[in-house]
Amino acid sequence: MQEFTNETIDLENLPKYQDVVLTAPNPKYWNVIVINLSIILLLVGGGLATLFYLVDDEKPNPLYLLAGYLLFSALLFTIHRLSFKKRGYALREKDIIYKHGLIAETTTIIPIHRIQHVALDEGITSRSYGLATLQIFTAGGQTGHIHIAGIEVEKAKIIKEALVKRLDLLENLTAEQ
Amino acid sequence: MENDFSKPQRQSAAGIIIMAGYSIQQVVRALIIPFIVFAVKAERAHLLYFFAGAGVLVLLTLIYSYFNYLKFTFFLDDKKQEFIINKGVFNKTLLTIPLEKIQQVNINQSLLQKIIGVYSLQIDTAGGADKEVSIKAINEASAYILKEHLLNGKKAEGTPSLDEELPKLNTEIPFLSISPATLLKVGLTSNYGSSVALLIGFAYALFHNTKEILRAFDTDNGQVEAAIEKGFTIASIGFLVIAVIFILLIINIIRTFVKYYDFKISKHKHSLLISTGLLTKKNTLLSPNKVQITTYSQNYFQRKFNMLNLSLKQADSGNPKDPKDLEKSNLSIPGCSPAEKDEILKMILGNIPNHAKTFAPNFRFINLPIIFSAILPVGIYIGLWLNIPEVKPFYPLAIAYFVISIIMIYFSYKRHRLMVNQEFIIKKSGIWDVSFEHIFPHKIQAITTFQYPWHKNVDVGHVNLHTAAGVIHFKYGSYTEIKNLVNYWLYQVESSDEDWM
Repeated sequence: MQEFTNETIDLENLPKYQDVVLTAPNPKYWNVIVINLSIILLLVGGGLATLFYLVDDEKPNPLYLLAGYLLFSALLFTIHRLSFKKRGYALREKDIIYKHGLIAETTTIIPIHRIQHVALDEGITSRSYGLATLQIFTAGGQTGHIHIAGIEVEKAKIIKEALVKRLDLLENLTAEQ
Repeated sequence: MENDFSKPQRQSAAGIIIMAGYSIQQVVRALIIPFIVFAVKAERAHLLYFFAGAGVLVLLTLIYSYFNYLKFTFFLDDKKQEFIINKGVFNKTLLTIPLEKIQQVNINQSLLQKIIGVYSLQIDTAGGADKEVSIKAINEASAYILKEHLLNGKKAEGTPSLDEELPKLNTEIPFLSISPATLLKVGLTSNYGSSVALLIGFAYALFHNTKEILRAFDTDNGQVEAAIEKGFTIASIGFLVIAVIFILLIINIIRTFVKYYDFKISKHKHSLLISTGLLTKKNTLLSPNKVQITTYSQNYFQRKFNMLNLSLKQADSGNPKDPKDLEKSNLSIPGCSPAEKDEILKMILGNIPNHAKTFAPNFRFINLPIIFSAILPVGIYIGLWLNIPEVKPFYPLAIAYFVISIIMIYFSYKRHRLMVNQEFIIKKSGIWDVSFEHIFPHKIQAITTFQYPWHKNVDVGHVNLHTAAGVIHFKYGSYTEIKNLVNYWLYQVESSDEDWM
């Protein structure tokens, strides 16, 4: 106990992950979300509409259905909008931080020398806006990975380069020892 | 066989028989039911063709195994620190395993191998790659030397020759061995879960296969179902429950004996040599620094017997749904005494953790479980009670369920603790089996913290520590304390250059 309370003083002076200023994803990524969501909603709506016309049973008022569909869509957009606002990432000297989550505000921190590999993913919609998703993998399984969507391709490449380089650097250092 | 592994070499010649044995076993396993059906239904005259066909199949398997044996070579590249395997008759495969990626080397002996007098050597690698590498036939001395080379890499370069190595192998004194009496206690007190699963699996297989055979004879008219139904009406439920518990305990004891008979741990240079098994002997050489999570657990009965279960988790291949993989990366030591537990902890962790600061969860921990596991089911029952008269007599069950679930939730809350000191993080948890999971901060791969908005004012939050062998959760702690701890752990991980494996 003695030893630990000694450490607690140090604890106060350690760099605080919770105070790091986070960079929000590029605002243009909102357009990507809107386009993707719209495509999905249109497909679902179209499917439901065909089903509605094909089934011969007694039909409820189509206006109600349309209202329900619109309400659901609006809700979906609101949720995505709010959750988009919550996202942020930061690259520190020795780790990378990503915060997300609408209801549970989740912060994931990966120390750079625990990264297994880094991938850059450009979806079709994202690419037309010059954006990319940075995926960072660890040995900690599914839940220990980070996917940061909506970073400008150039910036994402720089971050990726920085992460990978530091990985190499660390490996070289340990190899020399 | 030579013991210079730097040149490509084949397996022990007995490997032909072993490989043929395995192939035939596979073929038989796949074709047994159609075979039986065919043998029963076919006419006499056709049976001759049938046996001729089977003979040809066996011959082909033997020839294939011979070529397989010829094409299978392996060697150790000392310069590049790689183990290289060439194999395949039709599809050639070149497997290169960097020595640093090897996390465990197992030497096993199946019944067939025991008769012929060879061993199989199996290499487990870390991370993603689910390529399992095994050499099916190798003699004992070579197996152990190769194992040592594989696990120690460069350090093994100057290892003494065979003559000096062997006496050492034989004179090893195990520092832990488990007696049959202890195994009996272990069988009586633990691992009920997997035995239940086994029993259900067995019952299903029995049901299914009986039906299959009856169908082959064109006589399936639902007798099996009828017999079961009849059985249920005759035997009273109480008798059935006792019988099931009895069978369960018997299965549990048998399983424990088969798996852990003659369980020994000895120190072998820098690693632990664990050998166990009744029918097939399993030898595992494990280097302590590859263990990710060290757990010991104890339930009420085990506490009375003064013994514990210990399990050592290594990095899994990232596929948690594969039970085989889970078992492989999870070594368990059943029934050790507290002194033996301390001994093993000392070997794996360096010293026995003490003087830790304990963090307890907020009382809000119990809210959700009480609502979803206690109030909601009982509420549904009350709803039914009001509307369906048939369920009314069952109210004592509902009351018992409510009380038991509340008690269980309370215990899970009381036992959910996180202990932290400079060297270790210990997570205590459990309702019946109380377990203590130990990890080193430098084994952390990633940290996740999260908080629900309605907990912001009361400063309650959660933290997940991701390791290569699973996640450690601490829920409903003080969020300020959690944040401090996370900063401290990050500092520990990022300032040390200790490797996680």
